[in-house]
Amino acid sequence: MASSMLLRSTLPRSFASATGRNVLRSALQAIYSGTVNDPTTFPPSSKTHGSYHWAFERLLAASLVPMTTAAFVTTGSSYPVLDGLLGISLVMHSHIGFDSMVVDYLHKRKFPIIGPAMTWILRTATVGVLVGVYQFNTNDIGLTELIAKVWTA
Amino acid sequence: MQVLANTARANALRSSIRSFASSAARSQAAPLEKPVLNKEFKIYRWNPDEPAKKPTLQTYTIDLNQTGPMVLDALIKIKNEIDPTLTFRRSCREGICGSCAMNIDGQNTLACLCRIDRKTSKDTKIYPLPHMYIVKDLVPDMTLFYKQYKSIKPYLQNDNPPEKGEFLQSQEDRKKLDGLYECILCACCSTSCPSYWWNQDEYLGPATLMQAYRWIADSRDSYSSQRKDQLQNEMSMYRCHTIFNCARTCPKGLNPAAAIAKIKLELAAE
Amino acid sequence: MSVSARVGLGSAVRRAAFTPAIGRNQIALRTAILKRGVQTQSLPPSASQEILNAQRLKRPSSPHFTIYQPQLTWISSIANRATGGALSALLYGFSLAYLVAPGTFDSAHIIEFVAGLPEYLKYAGKVVLAAPFAFHFWNGLRHLSWDMGKFLSLKAAYRAGYAVLGVSAVTTVALVLM
Repeated sequence: MASSMLLRSTLPRSFASATGRNVLRSALQAIYSGTVNDPTTFPPSSKTHGSYHWAFERLLAASLVPMTTAAFVTTGSSYPVLDGLLGISLVMHSHIGFDSMVVDYLHKRKFPIIGPAMTWILRTATVGVLVGVYQFNTNDIGLTELIAKVWTA
Repeated sequence: MQVLANTARANALRSSIRSFASSAARSQAAPLEKPVLNKEFKIYRWNPDEPAKKPTLQTYTIDLNQTGPMVLDALIKIKNEIDPTLTFRRSCREGICGSCAMNIDGQNTLACLCRIDRKTSKDTKIYPLPHMYIVKDLVPDMTLFYKQYKSIKPYLQNDNPPEKGEFLQSQEDRKKLDGLYECILCACCSTSCPSYWWNQDEYLGPATLMQAYRWIADSRDSYSSQRKDQLQNEMSMYRCHTIFNCARTCPKGLNPAAAIAKIKLELAAE
Repeated sequence: MSVSARVGLGSAVRRAAFTPAIGRNQIALRTAILKRGVQTQSLPPSASQEILNAQRLKRPSSPHFTIYQPQLTWISSIANRATGGALSALLYGFSLAYLVAPGTFDSAHIIEFVAGLPEYLKYAGKVVLAAPFAFHFWNGLRHLSWDMGKFLSLKAAYRAGYAVLGVSAVTTVALVLM
């Protein structure tokens, strides 16, 4: 009984049939274009979406390590630039992470409405967050100082 | 009818001869009776002739002492003796054809290389390769997998073949292909990859990507820049998040995760 | 034979086959079949694609993460994503809240609120924040070393995975006691 519940194939399929879009999904995934002997095709080549994106993501993630250390060592108002830089980098790191979740789980070819909607909600949110972080760092005590003080509160 | 009677007579004749010849030996050494060791196998079933019926797990109990050591032996025994409608692919029974790839106790592997767990307290669950469209029972539709393999042009491309004789390769260059060329395309790795589960119509998956690297790494191939350029997009390769399920599950002990990591490094260095 | 048996022609064909005169006479054989009222429909070769596609639409998708064995490989990967997502959500939530209501979510109010919490809740909150951060940090380094071509063998990947778990636990304790 338990196993038959597991078998009820969980995520996209049930979702698609529940919303009456299984025709669309099947046309995309179950039925392949061309014959068995035709290879699949590649999307247009773009380094911006390929190696540049990948390398930027890694460099950003790696630079977070010294940046976090530096920001916490110099915590306080002595080097607000470091705090600001960390704030921006963290938000970009988060944005890339969220974006890759959208591409993985909510790609627009499977979710033609929710997918693009999520991409735009994410972009709007990121802009808002950048503004919020900037204001907090300029008008208030800054992110690292806040974390340090909350931690010992 | 005539034929049948003849065989029966021949059999009777043969057995009488044998009993006469071995009667002395038989009284000394009785054949060792192995105890019955029953184990449950729960196997995924879905019949395309009744498409509305949901897939189910069907339980079969067999005596392990009357079965070969591998899961494939158990499947063949079930098909021969209990349920001839059970459907699965198999061919070489020695781990070189890749036909009997399936999910056994939660891990993708080849049934012919997977020993039966002899603990009878626990059943063995057998599913088809995960997140594939099922043709029947344990048989998945591999069309897309093969189409993707074809897309990376898995053959030598070189516009300037040597004027005489074959392509020559140094021993070091040949060594670069070890651990890559042995792939048998059983699809265990690709169907163990969560990224492939969610995006298999766009993401090539570990098996195909490792073969892409096998041709990029080949010193005799002159199309490696074109091969790499094809992968420069969001979906074809960069859906790989180095999860390592592929290397963990490969029944041939290969490491697609490492091959993909090397492609990424080469692309970033360009 | 099995095909003819299924459409109920068994006896007709057998009779035809065992009667040599009719057996060789194809027309007689065909009329024998037609008399049984079997209808056949001629299809062009291209129709096979439609038939196959109709079948494909009915095929179920085999189960995946619900039946896959829990392994350090994919569990640590999804944990990396979950911890990163949770921490990012906190950052996004706070920043947007500050943007909308800077008077309510300023540092003074937050620190005052946290200071007013009971001690055990403070420790619990610290664990909830420190553990995901520690794991995401160390596992992120594990990912970065893979991307630089290090620890790419399965054995090394597993060792690094267990090391990440251990170091994360130690880091969490250290952070909570800070």
